[in-house]
Amino acid sequence: MDTIKNLFIKLGSMDRRIIFLLVGLSVLFPLLKPDWFALPIRPKPHSQIVFNEINQLESGNKVLLSFEYGPSTKPEIHPMSVALLRHLFSKDIKVYATALWPDGNFMSTDAFDEVAPEYNKRKGVDFVNLGYKPGGEAVIKGIASDIKTLYTVDLDGTSLDEIPMMQNVNNVEDFDFVFSLSAGFPGSKEWVQYATDPKGIPMSTGCTSIQVTDIVPYVENGQIRGILAGMPGAAEYEELVKTELERRGLPVNLGKASGMMSAQSMAHVVIVILIIFGNITYYLTRNNKRKGG
Amino acid sequence: MSVEIFGSWIVVFLTLSIFSYLYDDNPFYKAAEHIFIGVSAGYWAVIAFWQQIQPNLFGRLWPKLEESADTSVLNSVWYSIYKVFNYISTGAGTLDRSVFPEGGIEGYDEIRLMYIIPFILGIFMLLRLVPKVGWLARWAIAYIVGMTAGLRFYSFLNSDILLQIKASAVDFTGEWGAIINGMIVFIGTITGLIYFFFSKEHKGSFGTLSKIGIYFLMIKFGASFGFAVMGRISLLIGRINQLKDYSSVEYNYATPIILLFIIVSLGIWSFMDGGKKNESAA
Repeated sequence: MDTIKNLFIKLGSMDRRIIFLLVGLSVLFPLLKPDWFALPIRPKPHSQIVFNEINQLESGNKVLLSFEYGPSTKPEIHPMSVALLRHLFSKDIKVYATALWPDGNFMSTDAFDEVAPEYNKRKGVDFVNLGYKPGGEAVIKGIASDIKTLYTVDLDGTSLDEIPMMQNVNNVEDFDFVFSLSAGFPGSKEWVQYATDPKGIPMSTGCTSIQVTDIVPYVENGQIRGILAGMPGAAEYEELVKTELERRGLPVNLGKASGMMSAQSMAHVVIVILIIFGNITYYLTRNNKRKGG
Repeated sequence: MSVEIFGSWIVVFLTLSIFSYLYDDNPFYKAAEHIFIGVSAGYWAVIAFWQQIQPNLFGRLWPKLEESADTSVLNSVWYSIYKVFNYISTGAGTLDRSVFPEGGIEGYDEIRLMYIIPFILGIFMLLRLVPKVGWLARWAIAYIVGMTAGLRFYSFLNSDILLQIKASAVDFTGEWGAIINGMIVFIGTITGLIYFFFSKEHKGSFGTLSKIGIYFLMIKFGASFGFAVMGRISLLIGRINQLKDYSSVEYNYATPIILLFIIVSLGIWSFMDGGKKNESAA
């Protein structure tokens, strides 16, 4: 028994770099050998609500897609953007993109470049990318009251008056749905506070894991309809879109999040084991100290 | 070497430089950190100028007017200021004009003098750099604080207070599961608020309720911690996945080569730096 106790106490003083290495390897192996660690992905209710909300939109409906993330949170949010665009374009829904973060321009451009050719969608006709405007919540407020005062041109410099799909769009009330792809401030919360709550427009969000506990109260209250929570949320949405496209006999392109979920699960297993070991070591060390050891 | 391959080598080098901090603080990490901050600040400044200040501020103050528009003396004086700005921004005419195009900025069809106020407040903000008149920046900050407070007041009150209070009410006409869930939310809300009520000593039944509030708060913090770990692991997966992609022959084995270079360099640096530390200790 003492040998085991001593082993745990020694583990407690393990160099932190070994822990980093263990976590790194737990991520690396499933990425190198995904077949060895394949785990099923089952959509959770919140992801299902998001999917249902988007799925009930009809051809020609208008969706405002806000890009509030950058390269630092791309692995979590970008797969959501791509899966969401596939879902929207497959239903011939008009997409209006905006960005509250400067890097959002790159993210939106990347996502449109990847998905639009798959569905033969044309800029200015099927989607428009309005780009970034500094100002945070003031920009949301501007979109809620008068888009054309805020934006005169799209990201490419084309005048909004020359873009056919901008003809009858003046403020947030002209959209059928708002979707916020958010990694922080300004993001989903601000969309709720300044646009969708005051104007009564349905809204969903895909956000980083770290934001989930802050956003969930709005989701439980119906102010936000469903939530895609971090990478697992993205993987679940990819799975739902894949099933839907297969059902409708449309070509299916696999998303990136599903392929990364094994690595996520393995890393969680390692971290949980390390937390358990850490707690055992803590109790053993504390008992030894009390005994004067 | 194509631009894509060159870009991938830069990505790999900067990613591994940042990861090298896990070993210890070192020159690779410091260089990557400084580059990140510098590039971010530069990019943000350029975007803010070209997407907001130039078209939305200068564009409203000096729009390109139709030829039949007002040609009064006041108008000419106003646009002569524009010409002065252009003269300065082009280095007395030696550079191409881009910020202030000929005749005005396209986008709006009338001069909006109201925008002189944000223009002046913006200049006040920059005056922080001049110690003697730095106090003028406070006016701009006061405006921002006041405007933000006013803007947030209604929306916060509606979305975060009134609607959330409404949501914490228990609907006894619903299903059993929903009623129990509603009760838990209600008890959690009330006891959580009691914990933050400091006007009464936390003793007796009040203390018990406060303690229950702590448990609810701890559950929230635990969930937040769990999600934070999940988020950080997702980001790690993103980086490792990209490093894996760039380790192929397509990218001239960027990852293994740069990894080896950084390890060897860190080994040498560690040896030399260790020597210096020993010298200083002696």
